[in-house]
Amino acid sequence: MPDRPEFQIYPESPQTKGKIEKNGEERLKQKRTALMLAMLLMISALGGCSGQKALNKYQVTLLDYFDTVTSITGYAEDENAFTQMTSEIREELEAYDRLYDIYHEYPGMVNLCTINSHPGETWTVDQRVIDLLLFAREADEFSGHRTSAMLGSLLQIWHEAREEATQNPDRARLPAEESLREAKTHTGFDLLEIDPENRTVRITDPEARLDVGALAKGYAVQRIAEKLPESVLISAGGNVAATGPKPDGSDWIIGIQNPDGEGYLRKVALKKGAVVTSGDYQRYYLVDGKAYHHIIDPETLFPSEKWRAVTVVCMDSGTADALSTSLFLMEREEGQKLLERFQAEAMWIGKDGTEYFSPGFRKLIKD
Amino acid sequence: MMKDLERLTFRKGDAVAIGAVILAAIALLIFFLVSAGNGQAHTVRIYRNGEVIREMPLGENGEYLVTGTYENLVEIRDGRAAITRSSCPGEDCVHSGWISQPGRSIVCLPNRVEVRIEGSTADDEVDAVIR
Repeated sequence: MPDRPEFQIYPESPQTKGKIEKNGEERLKQKRTALMLAMLLMISALGGCSGQKALNKYQVTLLDYFDTVTSITGYAEDENAFTQMTSEIREELEAYDRLYDIYHEYPGMVNLCTINSHPGETWTVDQRVIDLLLFAREADEFSGHRTSAMLGSLLQIWHEAREEATQNPDRARLPAEESLREAKTHTGFDLLEIDPENRTVRITDPEARLDVGALAKGYAVQRIAEKLPESVLISAGGNVAATGPKPDGSDWIIGIQNPDGEGYLRKVALKKGAVVTSGDYQRYYLVDGKAYHHIIDPETLFPSEKWRAVTVVCMDSGTADALSTSLFLMEREEGQKLLERFQAEAMWIGKDGTEYFSPGFRKLIKD
Repeated sequence: MMKDLERLTFRKGDAVAIGAVILAAIALLIFFLVSAGNGQAHTVRIYRNGEVIREMPLGENGEYLVTGTYENLVEIRDGRAAITRSSCPGEDCVHSGWISQPGRSIVCLPNRVEVRIEGSTADDEVDAVIR
């Protein structure tokens, strides 16, 4: 404590000067008192401020993007500085949300909805659309065509059934199997032409559709996170990305909520990287009391019954997003092989609630 | 000589004094932790379209009906807050359950409502929640 004044431990007062013995005892007492004061000061310093810079932690919640709740957590000297940083993130989020929107078109913009609405036509698109679709093609390949952005015709049927049931629960129904089978014949990445040089995209089958729900959010978060300084945490729906450690060098703590009650299943600690969960409880609807969730297995054409939830941790948020869906649709052994390819870790929650971990996942768990 | 040595050795009184200081420190720490955690000092802020429409102390039981496209009933009970009833489709907000920690929030996306417990989170607390 160089800046602090030293304690006056030995006041040489005229009263004590004469009595040497008494003075000695007094000094010891004073020494002890000083020691205790120092201890108290240390304890309060530990409790009070751990960083040297005067940074405050801020968080903002955004409701406008990717049809989900986004929160941004960061450190700044004051609220203005934080608001300035988040307004840039907001602009980026809005741009990606609109470009990757498959349900709405926006004036003056060619987005995925435009491409979907005009199969057969060639569209010149923003570079960010090309980048997403090239990434989606990779994900289609590494997931064995399970996590595919060209399953739109199939997923659309489930999406509509879910929407109808949410608006009117009494009329909830399951899609007809023949329509699902018919839709399946209009899926696959060979029905999408991507020309990176000319920045053009075309769907070749009149019934085929894009659906990037399994990876676009994670991909967008990754692109945005890459441009940010350290010590920012973005959480968009089930996608969390950390740009680097907190200002004091410590980990971010991410709670994975228990789907069946209060509290967390596990807490994950990391300085930089992404955490994504795919769960059967995130989006679903009920038909005759049975829940039908949103992660459709392209093999069975129905919601996958393999897992309750899968959480993936890896460096890249886009990859984490695609991996969590892929692993949700796979047996554990196959998923583990995929994880190793991307140096990723995962936690699987079985239908009976049993937890399984990839070998490195336990090291990420914070007790 | 004997007296001098005695003075330098550790005495019963020292132990009592040190013990007292440690106890005081622990008591102080517990006081701070408890007063940070029990919600007495915290405020529940209800936002609609990003604007604060209502503030309520977390320490007092109460309820508030948010109107808009849909209706959300915000309830505060025993230092916790929740949306306990909603006319929105899906009712994700109701399923979110109760919150009590500063920095946590419940969102009703269809009604554009956020119920948030204000206050900064301790750094060993959870920074983000994945559902």
